[in-house]
Amino acid sequence: MAGKNCVAIAGDTRFGVRNQTVALDSNRIFKINNRTLFGMTGLNTDILTLRESFKFQMNLYNLEEEREISPKTFAHNVAQTLYSKRFGPYFITPIIAGLEGEDYTPFLCATDLIGAMEFPKSFVVAGTGEESLMGVCETFYKENMEPDELFEVISQCLLAAVDRDALSGWGSVVHVLTKDGITTKRLRTRKD
Amino acid sequence: MFTLGSVLDNELKSSVEDFSFETEFSTNQLMLPNIEKPFEFAQSIISLEKDLDENDNQPMFHQQKKEERKERALIKGSKGTTTLAFIYEKGTVVAVDSRATSGQYIASQSVQKVVPVNQYMLGTLAGGAADCQFFLGHLGRICNLYELRNNEKISVAAASKLLNNILYSYRNYGLSVGSMICGYDTRGPQLYYIDSDGSRLKNSLFSVGSGSPFAYGVLDAGYRWDLSKEDAIDLGRRAICAATFKDSYSGGTVKVYHIDENGWVKISDDDASELWYRYEEKEKKNK
Repeated sequence: MAGKNCVAIAGDTRFGVRNQTVALDSNRIFKINNRTLFGMTGLNTDILTLRESFKFQMNLYNLEEEREISPKTFAHNVAQTLYSKRFGPYFITPIIAGLEGEDYTPFLCATDLIGAMEFPKSFVVAGTGEESLMGVCETFYKENMEPDELFEVISQCLLAAVDRDALSGWGSVVHVLTKDGITTKRLRTRKD
Repeated sequence: MFTLGSVLDNELKSSVEDFSFETEFSTNQLMLPNIEKPFEFAQSIISLEKDLDENDNQPMFHQQKKEERKERALIKGSKGTTTLAFIYEKGTVVAVDSRATSGQYIASQSVQKVVPVNQYMLGTLAGGAADCQFFLGHLGRICNLYELRNNEKISVAAASKLLNNILYSYRNYGLSVGSMICGYDTRGPQLYYIDSDGSRLKNSLFSVGSGSPFAYGVLDAGYRWDLSKEDAIDLGRRAICAATFKDSYSGGTVKVYHIDENGWVKISDDDASELWYRYEEKEKKNK
């Protein structure tokens, strides 16, 4: 979700196989650099593979370009990587959130599993509970929220949506990215 | 579709003089629609994921493609549950969760999965909610009539046998009932498992539903015949709590009931997630 010169990403931390919950601490939101956060949902093995793949690509970028990648460029990189597997895709839905440029304008991007990008201004959702999430976010979102308010809103949206989805929950984490840095908080969710 | 009016009419019509087992516990009261291949239609109406998984050993009219059947289903069945019951020295303990899911959407967190049959018998609900509620309510009516006619309480064995026979006659209609009849009668605490496939099993402990493997783990580890009342209730509660934690399709609240010679009593009704956090804290303190 985007706020005033800040963005936030929230996600649950459940790893399950069909109906069985296997792990409660699977982290799916990764920091690319101080300006970009990258979250993925979908097949866990693809999430792990792509985490390593993008880490590798970003390291090379930093060495070659001698600067940090901007969120917009990273988003295009993600789309390119996913489309390269057009006929044998990675089964993930990535979300990129970051602060772009000198004046820290919020940047959000979501793509589908083969790299079709969209750049909404307000919020992006992904996962098994995405329909519930969409509804709640639509209701509670408002423009130009300060970081504290943004944290409250995104937390409540996640908790409400996750309680209506059988396959989500069992722990959650919220990252808020401002020009001063990233704050990470864990929320107490339902464990059923 | 099914007409329920005919059930009540039949019962009212049968007077004491005309009493006979055929009309009393008459089985073909729910009518099938007047089309060709009524059984196929009846079974395809409701789609419950478990029915669609196995295509082996199915009779002729089941050999449609999984996808076709799923599309034609008019009712998306909501299932996903954990119910358990066990008998021990002092009575019967019944524990259930309260979540209903249709697919992965949580349709409700407050479903009543225990249906009282009469004052000393409870039935649990698993599979199709409407099916279970109707047939357990019907069983309650039959048991009441039996008591009035024979001036004695019906035994759990007899009540479960009656339900079993009724369900067996609806065997291929696509019903889904996985109920446990739990009670206390002159023989002591009794527990029967009744299925819409027509099975009737007697045992000292059962767990039914998608979360049953997880509940069995806790239940089997802690079960003894000579448990104290407090320990037995706690065992039931812990087993359901474990199942709600592990199984995504179980959750909501954990309800525990106890049945002894004085009848059934609702012991507790706790939020499943809060219970889990409480147990976690207790474990930390114990360490």
